[in-house]
This record gives sequence, C-alpha cells and structure tokens, in this order.
Amino acid sequence: MAEIATKLFSWLNKRLPIVNTFERHLSKHPVPSKVNFWYLFGALAAVTLIIQIVTGIWLIMPYSNTEEQAFSSIEYIMRDVDYGWVIRYMHTTGASLFFAVVYLHMFRGLLYGSYQKPKELVWIFGCTIYLAMMAEGFLGYVLPYGQMSYWGAQVIISLFGAIPYIGESLELWVRGDYYISGITVSRFFALHVVALPLVLIALVFLHLVALHEVGAGNPEGVDIEKYLDDDGVPLDSVPFFPYKVLNALVAIGVFMTVFSIIMFFFPEGGGYFIEMANFQEANPLVTPDHIAPVWYYAPFYTMLRAIPDPLGGLIVMASAVAIFFIVPWLDRSKVASIRYKGIYSKIAITLFGVSFLTLGYLGTVGVTEIRKTMSVICTVIYFAYFLLMPIYSKYETTKEVPERL
Amino acid sequence: MITNKIDINIFKNKIFLMLFMLSSSYLYAAEGGPCKDYGECDVFKYSLNDIESLQRGASTYINYCYGCHSLQYSRWGRVAEDLKIPEDIFFENLVFDKSIKPGDLMIGAMPEDSANWFGVAPPDLTLVSRYKGDDWIYTYLRAYYEDSSKQYGVNNLVYPGTAMPNVLLSLQGNQKLVCKNIPVIARNGGEKRDELGKTITKEKCGFLEVEEGTGQLSKEEFDSLIYDLTNFLVYIGEPSKAARERIGWYVVFYFLIFTALSSLLYREYHKDYNK
Amino acid sequence: MQEKDKTRRKVLIGLTSAVGLSGLPFAATPFIAAWNPSAKAKAAGAPVKLDVSKMQYGQQIQVAWRKQPVFIVRHTKESLASLDLSVSKLADPNSDQIEEPYKGLNASRSRSPEYSVFSGVCTHLGCAPKYFPEVESKPWDATWNGGFFCPCHGSMFDIVGRVFKGVPAPTNLIVPPHMFEGSILTIGEDKEL
Repeated sequence: MAEIATKLFSWLNKRLPIVNTFERHLSKHPVPSKVNFWYLFGALAAVTLIIQIVTGIWLIMPYSNTEEQAFSSIEYIMRDVDYGWVIRYMHTTGASLFFAVVYLHMFRGLLYGSYQKPKELVWIFGCTIYLAMMAEGFLGYVLPYGQMSYWGAQVIISLFGAIPYIGESLELWVRGDYYISGITVSRFFALHVVALPLVLIALVFLHLVALHEVGAGNPEGVDIEKYLDDDGVPLDSVPFFPYKVLNALVAIGVFMTVFSIIMFFFPEGGGYFIEMANFQEANPLVTPDHIAPVWYYAPFYTMLRAIPDPLGGLIVMASAVAIFFIVPWLDRSKVASIRYKGIYSKIAITLFGVSFLTLGYLGTVGVTEIRKTMSVICTVIYFAYFLLMPIYSKYETTKEVPERL
Repeated sequence: MITNKIDINIFKNKIFLMLFMLSSSYLYAAEGGPCKDYGECDVFKYSLNDIESLQRGASTYINYCYGCHSLQYSRWGRVAEDLKIPEDIFFENLVFDKSIKPGDLMIGAMPEDSANWFGVAPPDLTLVSRYKGDDWIYTYLRAYYEDSSKQYGVNNLVYPGTAMPNVLLSLQGNQKLVCKNIPVIARNGGEKRDELGKTITKEKCGFLEVEEGTGQLSKEEFDSLIYDLTNFLVYIGEPSKAARERIGWYVVFYFLIFTALSSLLYREYHKDYNK
Repeated sequence: MQEKDKTRRKVLIGLTSAVGLSGLPFAATPFIAAWNPSAKAKAAGAPVKLDVSKMQYGQQIQVAWRKQPVFIVRHTKESLASLDLSVSKLADPNSDQIEEPYKGLNASRSRSPEYSVFSGVCTHLGCAPKYFPEVESKPWDATWNGGFFCPCHGSMFDIVGRVFKGVPAPTNLIVPPHMFEGSILTIGEDKEL
C-alpha cells in the first residue's frame, strides 16, 4: 500500500512541481527572523477571505435574489435554516473584520515602507485587492435588500450620475431599472458571488507570488538578502515552517477570539456592522432618518460630503483610493522603516492616521457646521500626507539602518 | 526594542482614539433622541432565559397585538417550542384559527383592506425590536397620554401623532400629561430654599400620570406587562439569540485555550532563533 | 537541544493539534446542519389529513405527501378475500424484506382493515404504478387479479402494494406512518408509533 502511494506520488511529482513548490513557497520559504505583530495581518486577511468564501457559498444556497424574496430569505436563513444564523453572522462579522485587518495591513505597509523597491508590484496588487474588496463589500451590502441596502446603493449609484454627459444613462444602465429593483439585486448578486471573488482570488495569488519573488520585509527595513549562508539562505531568516506558521497560529487564535466575541455577542456591532435600519425591508418611498455607510467606507464618504459639488466629491473620493497606487514613487526616503525615518515622516504618518480615523468617525454621524470644517481639514491632511511625501521624505535626516536584523 | 515600543504605542493610541470616537458617537445618538418628546428612552434589559416572562409576553401579544400586527417570519410551532409551551396547550389557548398548523407562518389575522382603518397598514412586528430597539418599544408602549385632538383620543410622547390607538388603555388606565411643582435645584446640587426654609418649587409640565382607579392594573403591574411584551418582541426579533449567547461562551473559551497553547508552542520554537 | 525540551515540544504539539482538531467537527456542524430540511421544508412536508369516508369501494385515490404520491385504496370484501389467491405470485407476501410499520396487523398492510395506504413510488426506479382493479386477462398477466402495474418497466404489485416475483421492482411499496381518527386519515404522523 505504502509502496503504491510512493509510486503514485513520484508519478505525480514528475508531472506537477509538488515537492518543489511546497518547499519553495511553504516549508523552506525564508522569512525575516525578527518581525512584530504588524506583520501578522496578512495571514489574518487570508484566513478571513477563506471564511468569507466558505460561508458565502453556504449563504447562496438559501438566499433568494428576487425583489420579493431577498429580504425575507435573509430572515429565512436566520430562523428556518438550521444554524443559518451562525453562517450569516460569520459572513457579516467576517466582512467587517476583513476590512479591519486589511486596513491594519495597509497601515503596516505605510509604517515600514513595504512598497519600496523592489516591492512595488506587491503593493500595487494589494491596492487592487483593496479596490476589489470595496466593490465586493458594497455589492454584498445591497443583497439583503433592507432599507440601508437600498438607500446606501441609491447614494453610491447616484455618484455615477455625477459623471458629465453619460452620468444619467450610466446610472440607469447600472440599475437596469428606474429604481434599485430585483433586477439590480440579481446582477449585483452575480458580481458579488462569482465575478469579484474570482478577481479577488486571482489578485491574492498574484500578491503572494510577487511577494515570494522579492521576499517579505521587516520592521527594521534591513535587506536580509545581503548576508547569506553557504546554501544561499539569508542569515537573518527562518524557514516558514514551522516558525512563521506557529506565529500565525497564535495570531489566528487571538483573531478568532475577537471574531467570536463579536459574532456571538455583538453581531450588529452597535449598528456599525449591521445597521438597525437594515432590519426593515427596502422601501423606495421612505428614506431612513439617518443614512450612514458601513464603517469601512466612512472615511471616503466623509470626503464625498466635504465637497459641495458631486462631481468634485466623486473625483476626490476616487483619488483618495487611487493615490495609494503611486505611493512607491512618492516616497523618496533612503530608508524604508518609520524607525529610521526623520521627524517629518513621523509627524506626517501620525497626522494621517488621526485624520483617517476622524474622517471615519465623521462619516458615521450627521453633518454640522463644525464637522463639515473638520471634514475639509482632515481631507486636506489626508492628501497632504501623500502629495507632500516626495518633499518631506527626501529632505529629512534619517537614521543609519543597521546591517543585520 | 525601544523602537518596537513606539510602534506598539502608535497602535495603542489608535485603539484609544477609536474607542473614544465610538463612545462619543454613541452619545451623539442619544442626543438626537429616538424617544422624541419623552427624552431619553427608558433602559430595557432583556432576559431571554426567563421563559415565563416570554410566555406571558407571547400571550399579551397574541391577545392584544396579533389581531393587527403579524409576525410573518416566525412560525407558530417554533414559538411554542422555544417558549416551552406544550403544543396542544399552545394551540388550544393562543391559536384562534383552528386551521393553523404548527409549521405555518404567523402571517396575521388582518383583512387585506386594513390600511383604510388606520390610514396606514399596521406594520409587521417580527423585526421591530431590531430596527427600533428594545428601549424604544418599552418606552413607547408606556408613553400614551390622553389627547382629545387626536383621532383615537390619545397621543404618544415617544411617537407623536402615532396612528395606533392605545390598545392597552383598559389595563393601564387614563394616562395624562400633567404639570407638577418640582423643587428648584440650586447650583450646589441641593434643593433651593427660601428664607423660611421652605423648598422653592417651580411648575414643570410634560409628566405622565395615570388617573387613579381607571386601569385594571397598577403602575408596577402594567410596567411588568410591558416588560414581558417587549421581552417577547426581543425574542421574536431573533429567536436564536439565547442560543447564540450560550454557544458564544464555549466558542470564546475554546479559542482562548487554543491561543494559550499555540503561544506556548510558538515560544518554545522561538528559542531556536532567538537565543 | 536538551531531552527535556524535546519532550516539552512533543507534548505541546500534541496538545495544540488535539485542541485544534477537536474544534473541526464543531466548526463543521453549522455547515452540515444547514443542509437538513429547513423549518419551511418541514412545514411543507407536514402530515396530510383527509376524510376517506366518501371513497367508493374499490376506488383508489392519490394524495401528495411531501410532494410524493401516496395511494389510498378502499377495498371491497371480495377483493380482500381474493388476496390469498395470488400469494404464489408474490416475492415477499409478508413484507419481511422491508421495514413494515404495521406488519401483521391487517391484510391491507395499513392501520385499517378496509383501506390500504402506501407510497405511489415504484421501488424500482421511482415511476408511479397505475391502478388496474379489474379481474381480467391483461397484456402483462393473463391471470390478473387486480393490482398495480408500472408502465415504465413493467413491475407489478397486488392491490395492497406487494410486489410480484420476476419483475424489476425489488420490494413491496412502502407504507408511510399514518393513523385513522374515525374516518379522518392522517398521513405522515402516527401518535402511537
């Protein structure tokens, strides 16, 4: 029996690079020996993606993508399907935590210069993943066809209307109807469950392939490839298995603890993860008192509101996301990590972080005069962080980066 | 190591900022006031393990509310099962339409043209506890007062101009908006007194008071009736809620153990490259 | 590395994987359970009640229970008496090969001596057999004593749903749980069972 298995395996291995790929990308893949917790969010994002895919597949089964039944099919899942509530709450909690983890992962990138040469492509694939996630999240939020689904989608689709000349017909084309109807819901459903997940998986694959080609970074910004042992393995590295796997395991344990606390005790997340108004079926004739986007879009929503002109708002909002793509060429610093960058960079990233969070907060509350001013100021800081980067990163005194980790 | 601490501090500061913002936005929500003229909603604490309260609530709902308000996502048999009421007793006492089977949805007993009776069709209430909140329901049902200018002679502080008559009027009695003389509070927090040592009072209006002897229930009894009813609506809004919170403890406990073990293992292996 | 450390590692690896793996069945439970019939499916598949007193003697009717045909036949005294005549043709006259809920209770195989209640799904490949009550020569059987004939593959059953020898169908037609309260027949539920 064992002999047959060995034979079969070697037959396969001659035709498929199993052992080779496994060793190269998993078991023997060298990773920097000293990293901190900021470097664990990538693994957590992968875990969340898997959770979303599995629970998503299970939710497709009882969900109904028609105008008449979309909303009630969610209640059907919550009540009539055995453990349907577990699967649904896993998916809603997963969606929010996916964004939380990815935001932290991206911030890690900004902190430690994870986009610097030669990691530009890793960064760009990452930004594209984020873009795809935003679309995926938006489409998914429409599917329960509650009041927030409807009015949130109404606002976002209206943005297309702000595009000159083609705007109005584009809006109609996206909806396929004169309001957000079952027709819209079913096309969003197709995109949410098939098209975008395919794109996401492909992008994650590219993100990882590119990462493994150039090697993972570290919080010191040290290039570990400089000092190799006799086998050509970096001296300051450890093999992925078991060391990195164990590290990830701890992170997954902590993450899943947080995940289950939210999922089992605060699934609505105080109205931030599932909004109260979304427990009412979509009603095109009644707008809820207070429309707020889900928390993970809130910063960009605030920027949109800060600009009085819809087209201007749309441009600002789109640029706020697009600007991430060119960060590798905005940073002119000699060093990668914030630890060795100068005081300007440190101030800049702190201001950026604060303004991003403030923008997020402002997006979830109503508008007042003061808040409007704050939105504008924070939007300016947000863009200044990126646009001034070529200057402050170049003309600041940096510290000497050590040779070894 | 020092630099590492700075990184952690940045992280910590962010978390604090986030918490601060979440709590302040919570304050904002209160200031907007979902309970309108009533002011702050009364706080409601559900107890889904109090089966008797849920049973009483279900009975109140079916007797007083179900005539107009369906519970269309819920099934009769599930309610009987969750509330631990034997099916024959349940069907005998709480299901008036004898053609109903346990698996049927509670789609209501209202004729199609009901919208004409009240101006609006009485909404389905399966999810009311989820889009209005339990505090709101608990306060709303106790905030009716006499107002002869309205169609049914009543109005509501929480929902001014509500289309629903006070169905529980006979139980609660005549509730009126009254004015009261209340002590003026001095700057130091105590009651203000005049030279003779008598408390200075000021007339303030907008208090709810039930006319004595007009209702079948005392104030406490009525409040507890509404408590049970609201509790039932919390249950019906999410029937798996009690199970969710029960299972949650086990899951969290499991992951804590898993985290502890895996971190011990990680530390053990960490020695290999961090001597 | 010291021997003590090695043991410690082994123990920790064992514990961590044991805890990790023990979680898997629990994690899988919701996903497996979600495929069970939902409350909606169960409600649609609830027991069916009907009054059978209006049925004529010798008449066969079909009702749907869980979207599957169930045959009810009201037998005449003569037809019940003639059941023994065809026993030699039957493959399993006493229903020994299947789970028979009311075995040996009545010749009709049901809870009632007068009515037969059995599934209208041929045990061969799921077609619905047709009822031919006439006692006369048939193309498929020259000595036909009344019963069910399946048009798909020619399986034959007698009037109480017992399968003939030498036909494709392997077993008798299945008797679902049922009960009679007076003339009210409930299919799908039996309080005494």
